Amino acid sequence: MTIDRQSEIDDLLFARDVEQFLIREVGLLDDRRFEDWTNLFTDDGYYWAPAQPDQVDPESGVSLFFDDVPMLRTRFARLRHPRVHSQIPPSRTSHMISNIFVTRDGGSGLCRVDARFEMLEFRPGHRQRSFGGKYSYELVSGSGDGFRIAAKKAVIINCDDVHLPIALPF
Amino acid sequence: MTVYSSEHIASLVRSDQVHRDVYEDPRLFDLEMDRIFGRSWVYVGHESQVPEPGDFFCTRIGLQPVVMTRHSDGNVYVVYNRCAHRGVKVVNEECGNAGRFMCMYHGWTYDTNGDLDFVTQEEGYPDYKFDRVKDGMGRVARWDSHHGFVFANLSPEGPDLRAWLGENGDFLDDVAISAPDGEIEVTGGVHRYLYHGNWKMQVENLIDMYHPAYSHESSSAKGGQQFTRREGDKGGIQFFEKRGKVKSMDNLGTHSLPHGHTWQGGLPPVENTSADHQAYVALLEEKHGPEKTRDILVKKRHNVIFYPNMAMQELNPHIRLIRPLAVDRTEIFIYPVKLKGAPEKMFRDQLVNLNRTHSPTSLVQTDDVEAFARAQEGMMTSGNEWILLARKGPSEEFDTGRVRTTGTSEEGMRNHYRAWLNYMCADDGE
Repeated sequence: MTIDRQSEIDDLLFARDVEQFLIREVGLLDDRRFEDWTNLFTDDGYYWAPAQPDQVDPESGVSLFFDDVPMLRTRFARLRHPRVHSQIPPSRTSHMISNIFVTRDGGSGLCRVDARFEMLEFRPGHRQRSFGGKYSYELVSGSGDGFRIAAKKAVIINCDDVHLPIALPF
Repeated sequence: MTVYSSEHIASLVRSDQVHRDVYEDPRLFDLEMDRIFGRSWVYVGHESQVPEPGDFFCTRIGLQPVVMTRHSDGNVYVVYNRCAHRGVKVVNEECGNAGRFMCMYHGWTYDTNGDLDFVTQEEGYPDYKFDRVKDGMGRVARWDSHHGFVFANLSPEGPDLRAWLGENGDFLDDVAISAPDGEIEVTGGVHRYLYHGNWKMQVENLIDMYHPAYSHESSSAKGGQQFTRREGDKGGIQFFEKRGKVKSMDNLGTHSLPHGHTWQGGLPPVENTSADHQAYVALLEEKHGPEKTRDILVKKRHNVIFYPNMAMQELNPHIRLIRPLAVDRTEIFIYPVKLKGAPEKMFRDQLVNLNRTHSPTSLVQTDDVEAFARAQEGMMTSGNEWILLARKGPSEEFDTGRVRTTGTSEEGMRNHYRAWLNYMCADDGE
């Protein structure tokens, strides 16, 4: 049998690379390497967490997060401030990412990724919380070292709930 | 309900201090729901949230669920969200459109003005004569609106809405005229967040210009400026000059009005060079001329409090509803206010800014909420039962009854407690 399965193998390896990248990506948040996490985004990339489950546009309604890269840097600089009262003591998080589904766009170096996630969060003195839902990514090829995030969207299933303060991205 | 005597309630408020019980005692919280939220005008919603007949919007007055509806007669109604039969909450979605409301329990239906429409198997009530209004969901005693802002009052007694609003009504005029179309729309979703503290803490924080330099130090840049709020703005508000000095905040001033209303003086104008802002200014000038437009663009007030539980900001306009849940639990809902006729991009920027300032993930409010929760805990200590509200500054009184004083004065909070006492100690007729 001489069936050429090279393209399937390519897809499999590509999907594995994406998965490894995303595991590393959410791990950076848990390790509080926020600046490294921000550096994964393209210069015009953004992170979006809608406040309504069916929200189609980050600018048509308010969102839990809708941060461009400069805003992410402002947000994380604040977390490093010695008097960031709402994060003293700071939260600890644990992100899980699963059900990763990669859709390759032909040739452009772009791919879309859908995944499910869960984030546990504990801030000493407070009850542990869990957030979970769906991630959607738009990835582009990075220069030599893997991928860059053009967009990351995190829709938690209770995004329209009445929340206690949330300091860290899902 | 344990009812405290008026003498006891009055003893909890001194001229410059309040007793911790006003934040910590669940029996006082119950009385507040009854006597403040049951006697004052309370903000319900905006008419733009129910534009079409059958549109409804559910909210609460104190702890009582109510529905604001647009009936087929074109008018807005505010009715209790309760089936006349067995007390079941009838409307269970936050907003939507309905031909009539049906109770899930036994299928009774109501018109969109709350009147009883249909009783299932009515022949089973041979001795009871149904009245469409009395056996309806029940209209609240009074409701009225100003520029579409709907307020309701559960009591038939007391001043009418315009008298109660006083100079806060002028503020709503200013908000409306700042829209090129002369009216506003409440749209763009809602931010909701929760804190483990008494509802009054957020109300008091809104008139507290003493805290930003300390509470919000982490969201200020070099030189003590807060991060820029709007695209095109040249810099943010100055939180503090040198550590401990808050002169810029003092100069803004705080204003105390009758009925517990308060506001802060407008934040100092920052130059905005964005194309959208310029287009907005041009629209206003076309309608009002340059002189009037200059006046419209000067924001005269910041954090305008409609006591007890609604506040608005004119810069990045939004409605903040402070919804008590329990003596130590409060939720805050933030509704964006759209200036109709202004460039669309302005509203989009406004929404993005609200994410950063007035949301569960805010770079500002999260520290306020942290302070409220720690206050709720700290006040449990018995070593000192009094909360100090004695901070003062030079003041002047206007003939409207409004008093202006320094920005970091605690006069605004003392004004809240004067209104609080009026509601809480008035003869309850029980």
